[in-house]
Amino acid sequence: MANIATPRRKVALICSHGGLDEAYPPLILANAARQSGIEAFIFFTFWGLDVITESKVDHLHVNLAGNPASGMPTIIGGLPGMESLAARMMKKQMEELDLPGVREMLQILDEAGAQLFACELAMNMFKRTKSDLVPQVKDVITAGDFYELADGAQIVFT
Amino acid sequence: MQTQDADKGHGQGGSPAVNGQGMEAVLARMDAMQEQMAYLVRRQQKQEELFAEMTPIAKEILAAATERFGELEKEGAIAFAKELLLVTRKVIQHYGPEDVRQFGDAVVKILDTVRAITQPEVLAIVDQAGIVLQQADSAEPIGIMGMVRASRNEDVQKGMAVMMEMLKHVGHAAKAMAESRKESDSRKARLAKALGPKRQKKVLGTERAEPAPAVTAWAKKEVADMGPPTAGCAVPGEAPKAEPAEVVMDGVGFTKDGHLADPKAWTRDLAVTIAAAQSVDLDSPKWKIIEFARADFEAHGASPNVRRITMGTGIATKELYAMFPKAPARTVAKIAGIPKPAGCI
Repeated sequence: MANIATPRRKVALICSHGGLDEAYPPLILANAARQSGIEAFIFFTFWGLDVITESKVDHLHVNLAGNPASGMPTIIGGLPGMESLAARMMKKQMEELDLPGVREMLQILDEAGAQLFACELAMNMFKRTKSDLVPQVKDVITAGDFYELADGAQIVFT
Repeated sequence: MQTQDADKGHGQGGSPAVNGQGMEAVLARMDAMQEQMAYLVRRQQKQEELFAEMTPIAKEILAAATERFGELEKEGAIAFAKELLLVTRKVIQHYGPEDVRQFGDAVVKILDTVRAITQPEVLAIVDQAGIVLQQADSAEPIGIMGMVRASRNEDVQKGMAVMMEMLKHVGHAAKAMAESRKESDSRKARLAKALGPKRQKKVLGTERAEPAPAVTAWAKKEVADMGPPTAGCAVPGEAPKAEPAEVVMDGVGFTKDGHLADPKAWTRDLAVTIAAAQSVDLDSPKWKIIEFARADFEAHGASPNVRRITMGTGIATKELYAMFPKAPARTVAKIAGIPKPAGCI
């Protein structure tokens, strides 16, 4: 009964930015993939590491400077305090939409069976160890490992 | 004492002696009373005198007051006072004792603030700032580089540090305010919950009139407790439109993505059949989820997504994925005979 055998789909997302607004797309895409029965994993690299770093995950900011979509002139967006102000506003809006926070999203993803990986090179660059990361991160892998894992997957760079 | 004496007298014999003693006591009492009466009379007289003296004065006062009131009325003061009374009444209607207490607290805070900003040191700083502002015309405009250069000046650094400290405190206060508001919100929520059941019962009562499929009261209550889904990405914004049946199997219509075309046609037997086709074995925890999904759909017209199911049933995301490994919310919706859930969380 409508149990059409679809080929097993798989998606590999790359999260390379650490802004609050920039962290959500890969997380939501991965979650939506899991909800649709698609295998999903996320590779966190460069600033994206902040999203899975224990000390930073709760303090991600929205970058207004140099973001034409923010509607705020760069010179004002660059003032001290603007980032956290924007982040707070965004968090409030998300709360209204009942959107979980980044940490909760990571937990939901983990429970939903999405796999999270950190980039080894970026980890060395930022001098972080696996113990600095949230427990949901499965492993620290290289770019080569990533391609092996992504075999047969659709790769999405965010 | 007196009675004892009287008893003694009686015992010794001779009632005249007893009568004499009693009379003496009564007479003494009456003497005392007379004195009191005299005092009262004197007082009454004095009061009458006082009234006699006061009457002309009082009359004068009354006349003067009437005159004054007339003048005031001319000036519009009475109307003003009436209005003021009306305002007071309105204020009383709108604010309770709790508000007044809070207002009192606020007044104390305002006084504290005034005291703090009128400290000599603070006033000196304000004074200085005033002088600087007066001389603002002579100040040269500076650009970004000027700002950077100026930031090397120790005084400017100190000023910046003070500003930062102030900002920190403002932020701290804002946070505290937000927290207290949250607290009062949660109190409101608790109150609403405490008052809620009656209203919810009404809503459910209207539903019961429909030939509703078997959904346990438990699930209905759970849904009522949750409230309607919020709009946005996290949950379906609007109820999906009824899709026409593409496939008809055993006399039951299904949409092209495998959901029951008419949610009202759902029965528990049908659920078991659909579950079997999805290779899901319906046990009691799974039934709990199906019942919740149906109740939620009936109450709010939208199929619940994964987040709503986990929050509504208290089942962890992990368990949900373990029970329905492939697309949990969709599988649940299929088995529950409701449309495909929207939303992305």
